Amino acid sequence: MIPLELYILLASTMFTIGLYGLFTQKNGVKLMMCIELLLNSANINLVAFSAYQPNVNGQVFALFSIALAAAEAGVGFAILIALYRLYGTIDLDNINAMRW
Amino acid sequence: MISNVISLLIAIPLLGAVISFYAGTKAKFVALIASLIPLALSLQMYMEFDKTSKIMQFVESYNWVPSLGVKYTVGIDGIGFPLVLLSTIVSVLVIIYSWGETKKPNQYFALLLLNEVGVLGVFTSLDFFLFYIFWEIVLIPMFFLIGSWGGPRKDYAAVKFFIYTHVASLVMLLAIFALYFTYQMPDGSRTFDMLTLLAATADKTIFPTSMLNIIFAGLLLGFLVKMPAFPFHTWLPDAHVEAPTAGSVVLAALLLKMGGYGLFRIILPMLPHVDKAFVTIIAIIAVISIVYGAFMALAQKDIKKLVAYSSVSHMGFVTLGAVAFTWMSVTGAMFQQFSHGIITCVLFMSAGTIQHVVGTRVIADLGGLADRMPKFAVIMMAGFMASLGLPGMSGFVAEFMVLTGSFATLPVYTMIVVFLSIVTTAAYHLWALQKAMFGPILKKYMNVHEPHAYELFSMAMIIVLSLIFGLQPGLITDIMGTAATQVMEPVMTLTQMGVI
Amino acid sequence: MYADYAYLIVALPVLAFLLCLFVGWHLPRGGGFLTVLATFAGLILSLGIFSEIYPDKIIHQSMPWFANFNVGILIDPLALVMLLMVTFVVTLIHIYANGYMNGDPGAARYFAEAALFTASMLGLIFADNLLQLFIFWELVGLCSYLLIGFWYRKPSAAAAAKKAFLTTRVGDVLFLAGIILLYNNLANLNLALKPGEYLLQFPVIYANLAQIAPDQLTLIALGLLGGAVGKSGQFPLHVWLPDAMEGPTTVSAMIHAATMVTAGVYLVARMFPLFYAAPHGLTAVAAVGAFTALFAATMGLTSFDIKRVLAFSTVSQLGFMMAGLGVGAAVGTFAVGVSIFHLIGHSFFKALLFLCAGSVIHAVNTNDMREMGGVGKYMKWTMYTMLIGSLSLAGFPLFTGFFSKDEIIVIAYEYGTLINFLPYIFLVLAAVLTAIYTFRMWFSVFTGKERSDYGKHESPWVMLGPLVILAVFALGFGYVAQEDFYSYLDSNFKHYDLDFVELGVIGGHALEEHVAPAAEGEPVAAKGEHEAAAGEGEAGGEEGPGEPWYIQILPIIVAIGGILTAMLFYWDKVKKFDPSQVTGDKDPIRKLLLKGYYQHEIMTGWFAETVVYGTALICNTIDIKLVDGWLNWLSALVLGFAQHVRKVQTGIVQNYVTALVLGVVVLVVVITLAKEVGLV
Repeated sequence: MIPLELYILLASTMFTIGLYGLFTQKNGVKLMMCIELLLNSANINLVAFSAYQPNVNGQVFALFSIALAAAEAGVGFAILIALYRLYGTIDLDNINAMRW
Repeated sequence: MISNVISLLIAIPLLGAVISFYAGTKAKFVALIASLIPLALSLQMYMEFDKTSKIMQFVESYNWVPSLGVKYTVGIDGIGFPLVLLSTIVSVLVIIYSWGETKKPNQYFALLLLNEVGVLGVFTSLDFFLFYIFWEIVLIPMFFLIGSWGGPRKDYAAVKFFIYTHVASLVMLLAIFALYFTYQMPDGSRTFDMLTLLAATADKTIFPTSMLNIIFAGLLLGFLVKMPAFPFHTWLPDAHVEAPTAGSVVLAALLLKMGGYGLFRIILPMLPHVDKAFVTIIAIIAVISIVYGAFMALAQKDIKKLVAYSSVSHMGFVTLGAVAFTWMSVTGAMFQQFSHGIITCVLFMSAGTIQHVVGTRVIADLGGLADRMPKFAVIMMAGFMASLGLPGMSGFVAEFMVLTGSFATLPVYTMIVVFLSIVTTAAYHLWALQKAMFGPILKKYMNVHEPHAYELFSMAMIIVLSLIFGLQPGLITDIMGTAATQVMEPVMTLTQMGVI
Repeated sequence: MYADYAYLIVALPVLAFLLCLFVGWHLPRGGGFLTVLATFAGLILSLGIFSEIYPDKIIHQSMPWFANFNVGILIDPLALVMLLMVTFVVTLIHIYANGYMNGDPGAARYFAEAALFTASMLGLIFADNLLQLFIFWELVGLCSYLLIGFWYRKPSAAAAAKKAFLTTRVGDVLFLAGIILLYNNLANLNLALKPGEYLLQFPVIYANLAQIAPDQLTLIALGLLGGAVGKSGQFPLHVWLPDAMEGPTTVSAMIHAATMVTAGVYLVARMFPLFYAAPHGLTAVAAVGAFTALFAATMGLTSFDIKRVLAFSTVSQLGFMMAGLGVGAAVGTFAVGVSIFHLIGHSFFKALLFLCAGSVIHAVNTNDMREMGGVGKYMKWTMYTMLIGSLSLAGFPLFTGFFSKDEIIVIAYEYGTLINFLPYIFLVLAAVLTAIYTFRMWFSVFTGKERSDYGKHESPWVMLGPLVILAVFALGFGYVAQEDFYSYLDSNFKHYDLDFVELGVIGGHALEEHVAPAAEGEPVAAKGEHEAAAGEGEAGGEEGPGEPWYIQILPIIVAIGGILTAMLFYWDKVKKFDPSQVTGDKDPIRKLLLKGYYQHEIMTGWFAETVVYGTALICNTIDIKLVDGWLNWLSALVLGFAQHVRKVQTGIVQNYVTALVLGVVVLVVVITLAKEVGLV
């Protein structure tokens, strides 16, 4: 059996990559992808812990999380498309109509 | 006898509000019907009301959120019933007065009806949760009435009104929660039931005085702001000046009474169990409100602001009578609520009529109007006389009872101050009357004419009511007297409480 | 049987009020006949009641009203004579008004208000409790306000109406305080009231006076006196009465001479036992009355407005009545009879004088005596009836005023021998001035040359008729009625459960009785029980040998001397002096009198406009700057804070992410540390 530490290592690597992306990228689609990475790293953790501590709660939560991510992606991309129509760009630095 | 009469009383204006919202220009007919039915119901209740009974009547109680102990409990006794009657009467007259409203009439009348729902709910609910909901419901229609139909500074006034009273309500809500979370029923569950909780405040083991003091202060703040009493009154003149006439009338005649109702229903039963200093504090606030309101009214240039400050002064009598805590003064204070509710209508209606007939409310710009509008002048003068406490009209009876009752317990020098205010009250009324109505007619007003018949009618009806209750106060003081006995029965006089 | 319909005395004028108010303008002359009929019916009923209860019965009816109060009718001798006088005089004035107000577009309003006034005045008189009395008291004040401001288009009339209401309101507030104090004192006694008895009923008050603490009694008495001072135009609340002449002359005659202004005197008479029992109560009454009598008379000397002269005269005569009651400290209930007798007599001749003045004004169309002169040539009836009124007012022998006023001076002398001579001196001086200013007026109006071009015609008979009838009463009433009147009024308080000896002890009068030379000249029975009981009452002749002869005839000398003085100054046929040369225009006293002692400047200019209105403005500033100010300051503070905080929303995603991550890190660190320390 693969030790739990490796799963955690994988998950935290993915999380860090995602976070790095959030810090550095300006493009809306890329940000969405980074957020997906964050979510999925959490999902990996959930599933892994669930498998090592025999109950299915974690798996169920992972399913919830995936469904939520799908919805989030749907809404998020819709917003991005609307933004593109309006501004002609999805570079988030230029979209600041609602800053103070 | 109609069962569930109180629920019906609340439901019909609510239904009427919904219908009139969709009724377009026919809204006024819907509104009139939807306010006449509750009036008829409340008169029917008056016939059936047992004037000597000290328990709640027409009680309805249903579980609402059992897990939280929230119930839908309504019922009335001598404290609430006169105000229910007042609300239904005033609502009808206000709707008649507003018959000519042309700006978004459907929304206008719907909001007026919604207001009636709120105040009726406040005066009848016996569950703190329900009480608070109705208490807050009232804010919403009034906010929109001021904000949409108001004068030049309506935004400022509406927001000020809303935030000021809402903050006070939240403090009150915290106090209600404190009551709720402290008291446990014998079976371990919790309850919002007003009478149970109030009865429990007498128990020092559940509510130690130090804790009850804080709860009491929170509730008191909520009511004093609503009354409004000095120094929490400044939202009132702004709201009144900017509100449309009907809004002002409802605000002064009904919304302010919610504060007074709270005093009788909630504050007085707790008064004997809290720190004695509260009596002094409330009495001082009351006296200052009376005198200060009168002087403020004297200084005003806008006739509507003058009337607004006269409300502060007159509502001070309610506070004074309540805290003086004798049978006579408490009954008188209840009657003052009713009487001021009637009389203030005609004052605000007069101010509104002057505004829309003449085009200004600045007293210094008016003059000689009696020449062109004799009928209106007679009615307005009768209203002003009623307001300054002319015997034969209801205001005098109320003030006489409050003063007589208070004199027995309060120190003499406070009474001297109050008596001074009576002269001041007469002064500002007569001054405004003389300046606006008498003297030679100004050239620019040669073309003004009598106001519409429906406006005159609703004002004249109020004068008639004031005369009826001034000449035969027993019609309603009997009910209030029983309620006053009931409020004071478990307790004692101020002397026994050790205040004086 | 008349007693059963006593309530109609008030109800009928109320009906007339409603009819005139709502349908008056469709009726001829504004429906004035309705008001006349209603009042006349009251007169008939009063006469009927008189025939039933004279001389030794009273009527008392009562029904519950609300809370601890009742409404009721109490007709005892005091109320009965007032009822008869008011219904009689007011009927005549209403008849006169039918002529006087003819053609005025507001006639219906006039008669409605006059009817309401009549109802209120009659209600005031036969009220059986203080609260009801106060209610009608305020209603007559309202009617006074309405009728003074009858010609509301005139700014001066509107201002005078307001001034009258506010000034009397000051007194009313004191009155109300007195009532409330009395109520609470009685309530504290925990009396066992029989069914139908209420705390504020006069019989209950009388019966329990002796149990109230003396200092409380004094406070109550001063409160009630305050009300009386306001209503009866006594110093210092007299300032409204001269201004009240802005109303129609019939109003001046009815309200401001014959009836309403006497309500204050009536109140003191009604509460006489209380004043008697209250230490210093009657002293205050005597002081106020005597001072006002003289003070107002001096002002009557200089006014050129015929109605204002009469108004000052009214104030002065009301002072006489007050003083007459006040000296009751020496002569007991006898003083009530004397004072009320002057009240009744004064109503006749002062109503007469006002109506005559109205008749003159109706023709001449001005109030200014400097523009009249020689009117007598054209208005014989008016001239002679006014002469009768003037002689009566001046106290010329055998006229009504002679009997009534001079009796007050005589008992004031008795008061002087017992207690203090000041009231006596003031009253005698006032009597001199009364004769002078009365005939100054009469001579200036009716004799001499015509000083302006005025309408030269006699008034119609609907106006002259009442003049003649009133003149008959001004002439003969005093002579005919005096003796019976005194004894009837003196019996008033015998109907109630009260003991004047006991009250006198509380009030501190018993002591004075003992040190006094028992020289009162009145029959024992007419002198009040306390003296008889104290064993001090000694039988005497009618006007009594007690007073020296010069005291007896001094009033006659004073009256005739005053009239002669006025003649020498103002009657062109015997004129010896020119008033303007005796006192120059620069004379400070003359200026002081002309300015009316600067009362207007002090009361209106300084007190009302500066002190009261100034306080209001200060309150307003406080309200805006402080009470509302802190609120606006708070909201400005919150808004200013938000202006800074909003900068956090940079709109750059990376900033938000940074904050989020940092937040998580901080949370983790805090929780870990907390666990280490053992907090969680």
